[in-house]
Amino acid sequence: MKTTVNITINGESYEETIPNRMLLVDFIREVAVQTGTHVGCTYEGVCGACTIQLDGEAVKSCLMLAVQADGHKITTVEGLATGGKLTPLQTAFNEHHALQCGYCTPGILMNMDEFLKKNPNPTEDEIRHGLVGNLCRCTGYAHIVEAVKAAASK
Amino acid sequence: MYPAEIEDYVRPGTVAEALTALSKYEAGDSLMLAGGQSAMQAVKTRLLRPRCVIDLQAISELKGVSANGGALRIGPITPYAALAKEASFTGAFQAINDAAARVGDRQVRNRGTIGGSLCWNYVAACMPPVALALNMEMELTGPNGSRKVAADDFIHGPLETAREDDEILVSLNLAAAPANTGSAYKKWGLVTDALPVIGVAIMITTDSSGACTSARVAIGGLGDGPCRSKAGESAFQGVSANDSDGIAAALQAASDETETQSDMWADADYRKLLIRSLGADVAASAFARAAG
Amino acid sequence: MSVDKKGAWVGAKFNRKEDHRLTTGKGRYLADLTLPGMLHLTFFRSERAHSTINSIDTSKAMALPGVVAIVTGEDIKEKILSMPQPVVQPGLPARFPKHWPLAVGKVKFHGEPVAAIVSRDKYIGADAAELIEVDYTDLPYVGDPESALKSGAPLVHDDWDDNLIFEMGFTGGDTEESQAENDAEVEKIMQTADIVVQKRFRVQRCGVTPMETRGVLANWDESDGMIAHITTQRPHIDRLALSDILEIPAEKMRIVAPRDQGGGFGVKAPFYREPILVCYLAKALGRPVKWVESRQEHLMVVSQERDQINDLEVAATKDGKLLAVRNRGLADCGDGCQGVYWGFVMPFLGAVELPNGYTWERGDVKLKVAVTNKSCLSPARAFGEFPTRFAMERAVDMVANRCGMEPAELRRKNLIPELPYTSVCGEYMDSGDFLKVWDNLMKEADLPAFRKQQEEARKEGRYIGIGFGLGVELSGVSSELMVPMENQPGYGAATIRLDARGKVQIFEGDAPQGQGHETTAAQAVAHSFGIHPNDVVVTTGDTGTTPFGSGTIGARFGSYFVSAAVQAAEILKKKIVRFMAHDMALSDATEDDFEFVEGEIIYLKDTNIRQSFRDACERNIMAPINLPEGETAGLEHTAFFEADKPMIAFNADFCVVEVNPDDGQFKMLSWTSSEDVGQIINPQIVEGQMQGAIVQGISNTIFEEFIYDENGQQLTADFENYKMATAADVPNMKITHAPTPCPHTPLGSRGIGEGRPSDVPGVITNAVCDALSPFGIEITELPLRPNKIWHLIQEAKTKQAAD
Repeated sequence: MKTTVNITINGESYEETIPNRMLLVDFIREVAVQTGTHVGCTYEGVCGACTIQLDGEAVKSCLMLAVQADGHKITTVEGLATGGKLTPLQTAFNEHHALQCGYCTPGILMNMDEFLKKNPNPTEDEIRHGLVGNLCRCTGYAHIVEAVKAAASK
Repeated sequence: MYPAEIEDYVRPGTVAEALTALSKYEAGDSLMLAGGQSAMQAVKTRLLRPRCVIDLQAISELKGVSANGGALRIGPITPYAALAKEASFTGAFQAINDAAARVGDRQVRNRGTIGGSLCWNYVAACMPPVALALNMEMELTGPNGSRKVAADDFIHGPLETAREDDEILVSLNLAAAPANTGSAYKKWGLVTDALPVIGVAIMITTDSSGACTSARVAIGGLGDGPCRSKAGESAFQGVSANDSDGIAAALQAASDETETQSDMWADADYRKLLIRSLGADVAASAFARAAG
Repeated sequence: MSVDKKGAWVGAKFNRKEDHRLTTGKGRYLADLTLPGMLHLTFFRSERAHSTINSIDTSKAMALPGVVAIVTGEDIKEKILSMPQPVVQPGLPARFPKHWPLAVGKVKFHGEPVAAIVSRDKYIGADAAELIEVDYTDLPYVGDPESALKSGAPLVHDDWDDNLIFEMGFTGGDTEESQAENDAEVEKIMQTADIVVQKRFRVQRCGVTPMETRGVLANWDESDGMIAHITTQRPHIDRLALSDILEIPAEKMRIVAPRDQGGGFGVKAPFYREPILVCYLAKALGRPVKWVESRQEHLMVVSQERDQINDLEVAATKDGKLLAVRNRGLADCGDGCQGVYWGFVMPFLGAVELPNGYTWERGDVKLKVAVTNKSCLSPARAFGEFPTRFAMERAVDMVANRCGMEPAELRRKNLIPELPYTSVCGEYMDSGDFLKVWDNLMKEADLPAFRKQQEEARKEGRYIGIGFGLGVELSGVSSELMVPMENQPGYGAATIRLDARGKVQIFEGDAPQGQGHETTAAQAVAHSFGIHPNDVVVTTGDTGTTPFGSGTIGARFGSYFVSAAVQAAEILKKKIVRFMAHDMALSDATEDDFEFVEGEIIYLKDTNIRQSFRDACERNIMAPINLPEGETAGLEHTAFFEADKPMIAFNADFCVVEVNPDDGQFKMLSWTSSEDVGQIINPQIVEGQMQGAIVQGISNTIFEEFIYDENGQQLTADFENYKMATAADVPNMKITHAPTPCPHTPLGSRGIGEGRPSDVPGVITNAVCDALSPFGIEITELPLRPNKIWHLIQEAKTKQAAD
């Protein structure tokens, strides 16, 4: 029923014995107590609020068991800024009012951070298509798209 | 919401190790997890209650695309993101690029796999009709050895395939396509890149004058599972890219032959309309790619 | 109030103060909160729509290790008072169904809570839920409001004699005679008018789901009493209601809305079943109890709104002058068991708002609301206006088509030309210039150029169209309306506290869910005091520290709360300058002779005489000797702002679409709005509110629908089936402004954002019908789906071929 795992989150290694059925998002939020990653849907994995980077790839942490991350490196929104210095993407979100309630924001930041690494000069259509896996209810997406464009040009 | 108890989690490094893990539990009590983008939904609703989860992600021999002449071997655990960019599909097998580029969203494409989609065979999935249209061959390995199954025989009804519970899908094979072959895929759902209400995959081979000599037409999003349209395929014979009436007639034959369902997304007649309208775009692309 | 003085913050771009924590993962939402020894609550919910409960067997579930307690309706019905409770009961003439937090005797909708499991681990709670066995006897399903109101229909509430929860007329004065006379006049107009449009309009069940679901973390101890963290828009109302219903004295009840909430949009405004039970169990078990709603629960039982039939008639002259409106509204409010709104207050307001921004000679507007075996409607942004506005904006286009007039021209002809104005439904509209807002929109639209484009496109076989709409929205809700409507006050209340370092704290009783209160309030108050918004800190939503507020609802913030904050600031400024005049012996200084700017207070009659804001504060608080006559120390004030009259905001929109008649699919090419939000405080926040609201309206119009099947099974309790617009599904929006400052608020600001989605369905549908006008299609139903459009085109083609 349980497995001992070693998962690195934002550079810090967590060795824990956990139930096999524990979801990765619950490991992140409750075992590592990094609550920046959010849960927005139940089983469907559609909303994207739980998006983190697994070995640098944006994936939905609610669709993984924590044991699957054993031996892997995870980056969450808490790990974006280094030494207190915000990334251009985080700064652009503030500058362009790309968040209101902030609940979907961590998932969008982790997705777009990876997206911009693979696609440093995206068109607006490419940004909007890249955001399909992150639902936002507050902003209507327009300011988010502006912020990603602005961050891309930095 | 939360999975039922899982007794065991195993991460084999080879196919042989995976088969050993499978043999420890009764057939059907283990779940082989590829990308998990479909299976984990079922584990969380408890539709699936595996006693053992076998994580296939560490089996590197199941990943990647390799060519042998014009023939291709696709590792089943290759994620959609890689397949979307795979250059060796260009032309004859480009329907795979089309489908892989638009499954779900980019997070899903980073992790979800072609093999996972084919073995799950959900009615509203993209890879099964693509596999049917491309005459993909599934290579399975089990305790009694290996076998190869054509897509037509692999894809059964909803959530059913020819794979036995103690078999692993180890390769997806595409035979070298004849010259002047092209394929394409397009789907329609209510929001961008939604699960297909209807998805149409077509592969066309033409002669040197551009007239179709062979067509495979496959449709997904149907209540009874994905299927080919033989009537549509024969009606494409002799049709060329600039013969819009001929193309329309072929797609009319396909939509007439295909049984469609009504549900909250579309009525049966609209699904038939989608077969024709998506099919027209798909056929045009397939012809263009056949011409190179 | 001048906006171009130095250091002015009202109207200035100012990056939000909330963002640093929210972009670095340091938000503090309900699900992030923990207490030592905390237990988890899992609800076991009915999978039947309408059944008596014969027995519930929880024994297997109780035997699971880690399960601490399980309660059912029978266990709690003698322990918790039932609803209704007066503080969450409107003063409107309606029935209020008796209910407890768990089903007692029978279940009335798919998803009604039947039992609650308390466990040490939430995964075990899910295991336990699978082991509960209920024996039901099914009853006939009441699935739509028309069947519900037929005589002999099965009863949703056994102690009622029918399924009518609310019925009201909104026109014709206060007496039966005046109403009868009015209705007869309307009938005469309908009989004699040149043009009468008569249509049934239907809007589906949909709403505005926030990305964060609901939740409660409650803790009881004898010393602190009950402290409950609740995802709520209305902590002070929840406090009173929980105190009353749990019979816990009010001084022992403290509600804290978490500092960060992930959206509300009205969904977090009612007084729901679940918090009552979580608080009860925390006290009964003597341990902290936490419930975090799953998305499946959420879509199953809340966020459902709209869902109305409107049989609307509009009479006009052949020159396009609107004469009279007659409406029979019928809303499906589900079981009606929900505090504050009871499912019918939204349709009530929707009926009041039906006349919109047009002049009418007469109106006959009536509404019925029926209970059914569905979950109760919960408010969604636009609060009841979405269906009635869809009907009206469509009907206006139909009148224009019959007159042979441009719909835009007909709208302008009938806009209320001068405010204040009282509608035929009794809505008082305080101020604004509708024509100015409209003309600003029409500049953007360049209609003659569009019509040329449209004609050229049609020659090429392309179908583009333009659609217009407009909306009058409430700007806050006055006590005059709130007291009868919700039995609650409308005033805004703000406490401002200055400290000895010249820093400012604002205390707000209303809890925000992303609207940027911490930033906007800081800007407004910093502007008053001539200091920097970073020196102003806003605390919200804790009943232990904030003044009473009715909640973040109805656009109260920019209208009522900010006004109270500015008023409190002005009172404190006056006290500061009285002290300064005294201390500096300025014998002929009046309170108006001083300016607060860039951290200083300057005497305008001699600008060499000045003091730093910080020194002024420190003097008053830390060195209160040699005081002016009659004065005391202290720089703290709570102001209660009530506008003289109910206030409004106003907007108008157009969108351009392209429709493919071969498959009915359409694309929105552009969206433009013209807004009167009064004095803007933070322009980006205003723009964000508009964009968000419009996209919610788009998503509701096209994609979203809650569906119950013929057995009452709710089929849309996940995001695969309840589809929301993604970034790739919506256009950019151009938001333009044509404001008139509100004369009733100190800044001239208006509350915004709440009603904003309401004209969106009319605008989009008008555009689609305009694009397809060669086919003569009149769409009267939502959602707007390609397959439905395609079928209408096919029917039209068949009809045209036959003619």
